[in-house]
Amino acid sequence: MTTTSEEIRCKGLGVSEGVVIGQVMRLHDGTPHIYRWRISDAGLELERQRFRAAVSLARERVQATKAYAEQRLGKDHAYIFDAHLLMLEDPKLTGDIEREITAQHANAEWAVKVVGDRVISLYSEIKDDYLRARVSDVEDVMQRLLVALSGAYDETRDLSIDAVIVAQDLLPSAVAELDLRHARALATDSGGWTSHTAILARGIGIPAVVGLRDFFRRAKTGDRIIVDSNRNQVILHPSEATLQAYQTAPSSRSKTITESHDRSPLLTTDGVEIVVRANVEVPSEFEGVGRYGARGIGLYRSEFLLAHRGVFVSEKVQQAAYEEIARLAGGDGAVVRLFDLGAGTLRETNDSQTQEPEKNPALGLRAIRFSLHHEEVMRTQVRAILLAARAGGLKIVLPMVADVSDVRRARAIVEDEASKLRQQGRESSAVPVGAMIEVPSAVLMAESIAGAVDFFELGTNDLVQYTLAVDRGNDEVADWFRTLHPAVLQSIDRSISAAGAAGIPIIVCGEMASTPAYAVLLIGLGATELSMTPAAIPRVRRVLAGIDSRDAQEIARFCLTCSTADEVEDLVRERFTQLWPDLFSSSNLPAPRK
Amino acid sequence: MIARTLTVKARLGLHARAAARLVRVASGFESRVVLRRLDGVALLPADATQDAGVDAKSILSVLMLAATCGTQLEARAEGIDEEAAMRALDELFADAFGETEAGIAK
Repeated sequence: MTTTSEEIRCKGLGVSEGVVIGQVMRLHDGTPHIYRWRISDAGLELERQRFRAAVSLARERVQATKAYAEQRLGKDHAYIFDAHLLMLEDPKLTGDIEREITAQHANAEWAVKVVGDRVISLYSEIKDDYLRARVSDVEDVMQRLLVALSGAYDETRDLSIDAVIVAQDLLPSAVAELDLRHARALATDSGGWTSHTAILARGIGIPAVVGLRDFFRRAKTGDRIIVDSNRNQVILHPSEATLQAYQTAPSSRSKTITESHDRSPLLTTDGVEIVVRANVEVPSEFEGVGRYGARGIGLYRSEFLLAHRGVFVSEKVQQAAYEEIARLAGGDGAVVRLFDLGAGTLRETNDSQTQEPEKNPALGLRAIRFSLHHEEVMRTQVRAILLAARAGGLKIVLPMVADVSDVRRARAIVEDEASKLRQQGRESSAVPVGAMIEVPSAVLMAESIAGAVDFFELGTNDLVQYTLAVDRGNDEVADWFRTLHPAVLQSIDRSISAAGAAGIPIIVCGEMASTPAYAVLLIGLGATELSMTPAAIPRVRRVLAGIDSRDAQEIARFCLTCSTADEVEDLVRERFTQLWPDLFSSSNLPAPRK
Repeated sequence: MIARTLTVKARLGLHARAAARLVRVASGFESRVVLRRLDGVALLPADATQDAGVDAKSILSVLMLAATCGTQLEARAEGIDEEAAMRALDELFADAFGETEAGIAK
């Protein structure tokens, strides 16, 4: 059996940055097979003791997970483990299982399965969607008991140093308990840009490709794998040639991490200062802000504050969170994006369950539209930001504005809340308001919007999706998703010019900013403020410090005259390798299309 | 024995977090604490009868009440610290399990 395995490439969605070569570590896929065997009368007491030992082992594990999750994700996200602990302590559950062992002479695994299934089938009859979803918590606890009984519990935590986690799906509890210091990358069959896996991967700064559909069953623990988040793919059993191509790539992650401490102003070789800020979402990203020398926070995605879908956090809790963000950002300040939520968020919480789900949520009631529609949600958030602004410089950015009327309505609410706070004698601070430019209508109306706001932010992820009318999560149209499409570059050019003419700053905060090749083009189009996931800062600094902005400008102008994305990419490959051979190679430039 | 009618005001009903708080509070007392749905539609465990209600110290039983926002429950406490137990339950329900300040006004 010396057959070498064929190289397998799978397309998915890269939801963070980077490339990792490592070994597959498959994560348990659901319940292991349960067998039944008969326990003799003499063995019953021993079997019950074995079960009790498993319960206490499972409890220890839940407690450890809870502590780990509190530290990484914050207390609000760890509460679910408290419910799991109570289930393991519930005499109703443990008593039923022990009775099942005794009455049926059943082995503990079988008894756990029988009692667990009984509880789950009862819960499945609950009419309320949200409460019924607790079935997954019961399953989680049963799973823990079974794994504890099998004695195989520490398997997942004992990761080898280059483990790539491969799973069908990563549930929050699985992600929270993984020893992510040793996880080098993630690859999952399901999930999208906003899945928990994606958010965490970006937070910790490891590459992740999700939505691989049919990958899990092909990969075996120990297989060689390349996770290339930049190119939205994973490669199983890479050939020698593929490995070599990847290994000779100049910018591997481990290098960028060690060269991280540069806090000096970032200047291009011709002396143009580029301000680099941080995009943050989860608390685990916070330390990166200081570590990678970010100049404040260019984008705080506030959605993470919603502990789980549907629960709106109080003004007090929000205020504390925004104060923390303000302190973290220091003198350079922080931009808080109002909740970028869709209508689905509210459906579970209210009595509006009769509503049909939106047919097209990306074009539906989301972001600023959602906030204007649910004014109380927006008012609470705005109040919390105004109050928190006393702790440090905060700004508000309105997501997905279509034109100046969205801005006017939102600003009226901000002003109204500010004056109410004054009347109540509560101390708050003035907060500048900006607009996210991320839909085509906002680009076309950029001049008039610029007159009504204090700054622009360019959300390039959505801008690409909406400009090209391509869903980035949809494999079938992946060939049409082209960040370097001339239409996208022209939209960016137009937005930057409109901001310049109005004399307001513009921060580019989409993923483009964190990709060195794209960042060079952004500088060429006139951007001087970029905001990105903290872990990407060293890599972008290194490249931008080595280029002359006038060269970048010349190439960018030329790109604007191209008529297809292929032409732009050809041009970028050719000119970048020519001008900056030590900064760019095939590994950090767009790959040629067939 | 003391009995009282309590209304679930938590937006998502007695979901995992709320149920966990309820069980923690109830477990802090010696008294036996029992909850029963007044509309009689609970999914009760096979070995409990409708009238007996469920043990408030058992999270699985509390979750099985499937109590959504607005559900009325009868709470009974019986034991040496029954008054204190009922006071604590009262506060917890009145405070909607600490979720009173939820951002959406009705």
